[in-house]
Amino acid sequence: MRTKRRWGEDVGSIDFIQIVVGLLIVGIASVGTFQALQFGNDQLNFQMRYRSATSIARSYIEYWQGRIHTDTPNAREMEGNLRQNVAQTLLDKGDPDDPADDVYCYVRYGKITPKEEVLLGKDKQGRTLISHILINVQVTWWEPDQNPESDPKEIKFTGAMVPAAL
Amino acid sequence: MNAFSKRWRREEGWTFIEATIAVVIMAIMVLGLTIVLLAFREQLDRSWAVRVMDQYGNDVVEDLTHDLRNATDVTVRNGSGNTSRIDVKYLDPIRHVDFMTSRYRADLRLNRIEKDGRTLDPTFPPRDLGRGESYEILEFTLSPYGANNPNRWEEEDSFRRSQKFLNATWDIRFKLRYNRQAINPGEKDWAVTREYFNRVYVRNKNLIVQKGITD
Repeated sequence: MRTKRRWGEDVGSIDFIQIVVGLLIVGIASVGTFQALQFGNDQLNFQMRYRSATSIARSYIEYWQGRIHTDTPNAREMEGNLRQNVAQTLLDKGDPDDPADDVYCYVRYGKITPKEEVLLGKDKQGRTLISHILINVQVTWWEPDQNPESDPKEIKFTGAMVPAAL
Repeated sequence: MNAFSKRWRREEGWTFIEATIAVVIMAIMVLGLTIVLLAFREQLDRSWAVRVMDQYGNDVVEDLTHDLRNATDVTVRNGSGNTSRIDVKYLDPIRHVDFMTSRYRADLRLNRIEKDGRTLDPTFPPRDLGRGESYEILEFTLSPYGANNPNRWEEEDSFRRSQKFLNATWDIRFKLRYNRQAINPGEKDWAVTREYFNRVYVRNKNLIVQKGITD
């Protein structure tokens, strides 16, 4: 005849409840582990996009250095386009067969300003003022799982060129 | 009641039903974990393969970018729709007395980029590739600004730029593809393509750079 066991009574082996609880703990721990690995993978993807954005920013600075050197940008162009709508540039093409996961960025540049700073040599007061032009480029984008209402990811890149050397 | 019957009906331990349910639950859990682990391992393998590709792509583009920054002249010869030869002439950066040339050769058939007769980054492609894995170079081009450009704004902009600008502004495009063919039943072919890009304004092309004189 089977006697009624009390809850928690030690009968010398693990019971059904214990194994279910054990499996639940293992399951929860596994979910945590996989989430951590997924987070690491997402961070690697973010770093890749960050590097790509840096390359785009640097290429845009090269463009403006070439423009200033060879063409003469007009006054409107020298004002920059930080507050204007600009066309999107492809930042990361995910799955080649799925355009939905492509990540685009906006590339803008700030006012192109000539500056004078002491870079090298000496003048009357013992300084040399070297004119140089600063080019500021900004690349912004939203990560695939990022809320579009939140602040975008952003990198700012500054390049200088010295007209005296042209 | 004999001894066997007593042992079977003993109340310590599990009943047959409990043990069966536990085994079934454990089997489902182990099966689920195995599937998830295998899927995650596949994901990690793919991720690693793409990182390797990124590293190589960026290495090649950076190497050529570095040479172009000091270049005084660039010669590009195309082959089969892709750049097969790039000669970058530059002034010896230390003594400024001799011109030197870096010769890049792209062999798309052998998936190899060479610089001055030596393979650029001999660790690529990795030697321990699994079955069905392969890398291929799809494109290696050096083209003037606006030409071969998928960006429509830049293509239109190039018509407004001076020849002096176009002669000195070059776009490097290096496109790689990683293939992972299905080996086991139920698997699917998988591939990823990435393009590595840099633009360089070859300023020395518009400067008077002679032996002994540089900017």
